[in-house]
Amino acid sequence: MDPVAGIGLRSPHLAEIARDRPATGFLEIHAENYLAHSPALGTVELLRRDYEFSVHAVGLSLGSVDGLDDAHLDRVAALVDRLQPTLVSEHLSWSVAGGRYFNDLLPLPYTEEALQVVARNVDRLQDRLGRQVLVENPSCYLAFAYSTLCEPEFLAELARRTGCGLLLDANNIVVTAHNLRLDPGAWLRDLPASAIGEYHLAGHAVNDADGEPILIDDHGSRVGEGVWTLFERIVRRYGPRPTLVEWDTDLPPLDVLLDESSRAARSLRSETKADARAA
Amino acid sequence: MLALRDLQAAFAAQLGGEDRPDLAEAVVGDSITAAARLRVHRHHVAESLATALAATYSTVQAIVGEDFFRIMARELAAADLPRQPVLAEYGEAFPAFVAGYGPAASLPYLADMARLDWALNLAFHAPWHSRLSVSDLADLPPEGLLASRVSLAAGSTLVRSAYPIDRIWHASRPGTATGRVSLDEGGVAVIVLRRADDAAFATLSPAEAAFVEALDDGKTLEEGAQAAFATEPAFDLSTSVARLLALQAFAALQQDC
Repeated sequence: MDPVAGIGLRSPHLAEIARDRPATGFLEIHAENYLAHSPALGTVELLRRDYEFSVHAVGLSLGSVDGLDDAHLDRVAALVDRLQPTLVSEHLSWSVAGGRYFNDLLPLPYTEEALQVVARNVDRLQDRLGRQVLVENPSCYLAFAYSTLCEPEFLAELARRTGCGLLLDANNIVVTAHNLRLDPGAWLRDLPASAIGEYHLAGHAVNDADGEPILIDDHGSRVGEGVWTLFERIVRRYGPRPTLVEWDTDLPPLDVLLDESSRAARSLRSETKADARAA
Repeated sequence: MLALRDLQAAFAAQLGGEDRPDLAEAVVGDSITAAARLRVHRHHVAESLATALAATYSTVQAIVGEDFFRIMARELAAADLPRQPVLAEYGEAFPAFVAGYGPAASLPYLADMARLDWALNLAFHAPWHSRLSVSDLADLPPEGLLASRVSLAAGSTLVRSAYPIDRIWHASRPGTATGRVSLDEGGVAVIVLRRADDAAFATLSPAEAAFVEALDDGKTLEEGAQAAFATEPAFDLSTSVARLLALQAFAALQQDC
């Protein structure tokens, strides 16, 4: 896919997008919202004829020590087979333990043990789908005392061992860096540029924890200026990639989402031009 | 250091409401304590599952209001976490939970509204297969017609209630002028249906409900008609069959080998 900007496709916008076919680089769906045979799946299949698609899974639980759930993996594979999306992605997190699903992207300790678990699950996912998947850096609210790797090191090593790609979420980097007292610039060092296949942008909320601000990745507002600044830095450093604007809570009118993705497209284009001049 | 398996088990227990000092010890705390950081996840799990239940049980939420609904939904979520990640398939236990939920005891029809919401949700997510049409039946010889068995289409369900759930459902739609529904109007049976673009329901007469119930039990059209006549001697078979066919309530005939 060209390094274009797209939007997350959410069901309240589905009818409007199907009717008006607005110009946008690509559409990204959450896999778990389209695994049952609702009328919405039929609409998405029609849209697939006119748009590039990305399938973003949120429930495969790549960090589960119990491995991937066969039934869920089969359903995601069937959707990917049906839609033939350009990109497929999941998160560096876990959400299933003991047969219960927590509907949250839960944090992993960044250890060799966890790396082996995630690598095994990513291998299995890529084998089952017969294609590369991108793994996204999560928003973190806590860190484990016995982590031996930092998050970018963990992701880089995961990409090296499994051949997976990486999805860099600029908002998640800002959220994680703030909450874990890290330097977002330092976070960006040493990622394998060739593995990076997509960027995400979203808004976050500022909540209170023990009287201190904690950033929450709620996808409920416009992309913050700090996130735009970091995004531009990422694009300068690693080059333009397909970029998605996500919005999940307090969904705005579609035009607002398209406006945000236009801004992302301008950043990507200005860097593409800068590249051309340098060459 | 906890092994990853033990860490995930401890985290799961913490999300379920337990206090796990071993987990808190493994988390880096500073001016935001480990406990406060862990609470972010516990809060998100409860709130996001309540939001998922609100999407499925929109009529129940319209009746009790968002604040009451979220308290009730969080309580169910704490007791009954999803077993898989498709949230549209989560919440089957909610109607039974509502039926036993003390603070909602003054709304005796609420659990039946939850059953209707769940049936509509199942219908919306059911596959769309071809339906039985008038011409399919016209092709059968008359004696074959009465001996044939038809199945409800995927997503079609009969929901019976001792309350006027059809009228309560319509009265609780957003933007509906507040109409008063008297519970003295008595019970009703509705058939929930997957339609091409959505899910809907239609109110059945008692005889039609007996007819549909018999067919759903695997009885023949003749046996279904007998059940309907037993309920209501004035039952008009051809009118009711035509109505149910127009509603696309039945699956296309399986060819017997």
